[in-house]
Amino acid sequence: MRLGSQFQSWMRAVMGRARMESDMDAELRFHMETYADDLQRQGVAHEEALRRARIEFGGVERAKEECREARGISFLETLLQDLHYGMRALAKSPGFTAIAVLTLALGIGANTAIFNVVNATLLQPLPIREGSRLVVIWISNLEHGWSRIGPAGQDYLDWKEQCKSFDDLFMFEHGTGTVTAPGEPEQVAGLRVTTNFGDFFGIKPVVGRTFRLEEGAGRHNYAVLGYGYWQRKFAGDPSVLGRGMTLNGEEYTIIGVLPPDFAALFPADLVVPFDTDWIKGADSDLGVFGRLKPASMLKEASGEMSVIAGRIANARPSRKGLGVVLVPLEDARLEYLRPALLVLLGAVGFVLLISCANVGNLMLARSIARQREISIRMALGAGRLRLIRQFLTESTILALLGGGVGALLALWSTHFLAILVPSRIPVPNAADKVTLPGIHMTGKAFAFTVVVSLLTGIIFGLVPALQSLHCNVNETLKEGGRGFVSSLRGNRTRSTLVIVESALAFVLVLGAGLMIKSFWHLLQANPGFRPDHLLTLRIKLPADAKDSQYREPRNQADTFRRFLTSVEAVPGIQAAAFTQIVPLSQDEMDMGYFLVKENPPVAPGEHLAADYRDITPNYFATMGIPLIKGRIFSAQDDLDHPRVVVIDETLARRFFPNEDPIGKHLQVPDATRPAREIVGIVGGVRDTGFDQQPRPTIYFPSLQSPNQTMSLVVRTSLPPGAILPTIKSAIWSVDKNQPVFDVKSMDEIISGNVSAQRLAFLLLGIFAFLALALAAIGIWRHFLPGERANA
Amino acid sequence: MDKQLELLQGTLDMLILKAASLGPLHGYGILLRIQQISKDRLEIQQGSLYPALYRLEHQGWITSEWGESENKRKAKYYQLTTAGKRRLLTETENWNRMAEVIAGILGTKPEEV
Repeated sequence: MRLGSQFQSWMRAVMGRARMESDMDAELRFHMETYADDLQRQGVAHEEALRRARIEFGGVERAKEECREARGISFLETLLQDLHYGMRALAKSPGFTAIAVLTLALGIGANTAIFNVVNATLLQPLPIREGSRLVVIWISNLEHGWSRIGPAGQDYLDWKEQCKSFDDLFMFEHGTGTVTAPGEPEQVAGLRVTTNFGDFFGIKPVVGRTFRLEEGAGRHNYAVLGYGYWQRKFAGDPSVLGRGMTLNGEEYTIIGVLPPDFAALFPADLVVPFDTDWIKGADSDLGVFGRLKPASMLKEASGEMSVIAGRIANARPSRKGLGVVLVPLEDARLEYLRPALLVLLGAVGFVLLISCANVGNLMLARSIARQREISIRMALGAGRLRLIRQFLTESTILALLGGGVGALLALWSTHFLAILVPSRIPVPNAADKVTLPGIHMTGKAFAFTVVVSLLTGIIFGLVPALQSLHCNVNETLKEGGRGFVSSLRGNRTRSTLVIVESALAFVLVLGAGLMIKSFWHLLQANPGFRPDHLLTLRIKLPADAKDSQYREPRNQADTFRRFLTSVEAVPGIQAAAFTQIVPLSQDEMDMGYFLVKENPPVAPGEHLAADYRDITPNYFATMGIPLIKGRIFSAQDDLDHPRVVVIDETLARRFFPNEDPIGKHLQVPDATRPAREIVGIVGGVRDTGFDQQPRPTIYFPSLQSPNQTMSLVVRTSLPPGAILPTIKSAIWSVDKNQPVFDVKSMDEIISGNVSAQRLAFLLLGIFAFLALALAAIGIWRHFLPGERANA
Repeated sequence: MDKQLELLQGTLDMLILKAASLGPLHGYGILLRIQQISKDRLEIQQGSLYPALYRLEHQGWITSEWGESENKRKAKYYQLTTAGKRRLLTETENWNRMAEVIAGILGTKPEEV
């Protein structure tokens, strides 16, 4: 117990002192008694001998005091004295103390919070066996400019058979599944894996087991639960082993539970094995990891994989032109993240420096005001080192107080940051997502706070301490106690500081002003739709199940139509529609190439690209996206009618600069599909971010391009909490086993979208304000009549 | 008995070091030894002995240890450290040089100037 041992050491110090006292008493008593004995031996009576021994010894108390002084005061005692004195000095100027502590708390708090994120992401090792030997294997298609694509199932099988550089290969696929029993229907994060899963990562299940190698043959409906899901759904009950659950309409048996830290690598609720037949047919977007043999290097492995890629291309012509990319798992995990986090860390480091400078200036101003006190103490024999120590103790107390408050701030802001930093980072051009571990306050972060606080204390305490000791004791005292405030040198120092501080404050205020302005503009930016009173949620049809009715695309479109009819009937709902992607939600992008049938073909190597959106007819009305020309979709725009699209004005302007797009036809890459007629133009939407310009967009009627997953957008004047249960029951009245997830209001989506800017704006604003206040205090003190009188 | 001389400032430390150099002694013993060697010609304030002992110990020239005295009492014995022995040598040397210089100055006759 840390607190216990601290108490013990404190007790030792106190006890040591008590023991020293009793030793001293015993020694002096021995002296007097032995002297009295000697006197008695010379014939003096007992009482008289004692009396004379005491008198001749002299003042006992004075001797003791001199002894105490002579043996020197221990380090701990000086520290206690310094602490005591420092606390008293700080308590005497509560305003100064409060400002200094708050300034430091903000600086240290911001640093700790950012350190938390960096610690959680960059410094924590992966919770797996020898993670440094794991390599992510991607396929590249340089011709198309794709550097990393997930391989196909057959690639994995070929690699596994031919490659010698790896101990083992592992394949997985992220996905979502629908659990309909036990409990309410819900959408879960799923992971499909090869059955070497447990051994590959060295997983020790909390209960039960992972898969057996032989369960990779054929189809085994076994499920391993993620720790979080086990806690959430089954309250951590170990007797779940052997129980059944219904996933995508099929019965699965629970065989084990993953350890909690495994979620740092894969945050899956459920892990199930691949179906071997399925692997052979899976054409892309799988994730493959390799475990390098101890003897083999990444380069050799890459070479070998290239040779194998050539062999595969000969056997399967569809794989011609594809390369293989090997990236160590740890690098892949961090490469999209490290620069951003380090920049963030640098930025808050700068913030800490500013707060140090501010507090340093405050301390200097204060030490100038205390010059007389310092001179008197020096005149009375206080050593310079001792005074510097006193200053350092004082600033360290301040810094530790600041650090304490800062740690609280960090604790509070860490969950805020955890929202800012996404838990999963999509890897461009790959189906895989890099997972970030959860971010929370750790012992390491607290240690970091303490170290930062102490360093801060030393840095901003040392400069004013040394400065103030440059004074000449005699001069100071002679000058009527004004100290070097009245000396030319002191005035120059302070003038410079006040000027620098004011300049710094102005820079910060200007920066904050610009930030406020751009943030205001950001909030005023027209996103291209009416963002108020919108509620969104997602629905994924369980189309993966073997006997699912949703394997037929027509059924998917029809089910969404029935959901919509049911939701539209809910009282309080003004409009509702389905869309494949909600604007600003930063869901995965769907982008594609197209050609204009009537226009001359584009030069080879050039592409016309646009965002694709599948929507139901009422989408534009629900979102408040204005129709500029032509018509929007109707219920007739289904698979039995001619294919149509609506484009946005951005696309119209860019690709049809001097002509009317209505009536022209767009050809999407798959040439077997019929060209689609442009029937309308709508306003542009800032789809990717509030601060981004609208991008060219093509809207497809969802009846003509059905989706398995759609987002429902609802315009309602009722609060989201009130309307949500009725929306859910409207959906469940169509299919009682259909989960809904990702429920968010548009306000929430937008505030998440601008939260990074808001944080920067807030932090800079606060610091600019503080800097301004501090500069004002500095100027005020500088021109205080009393202190300038002798100048 | 001659009139006792008052101790010159700063000389007590030197005398304590000398007394302790002859073997471990407790505080009272050191006092007795100085008086015995000086044949009682020096007056030492008993109470001033202990701050001097603590100071010398703090400076690392003597160490102390609890032991049993001749009269079966618990007593603190002081002993010179190596550094203390060196210190005693330099102090003695300095003192002799100083005494020589002072004596030389004081012994100067008017015609020698």
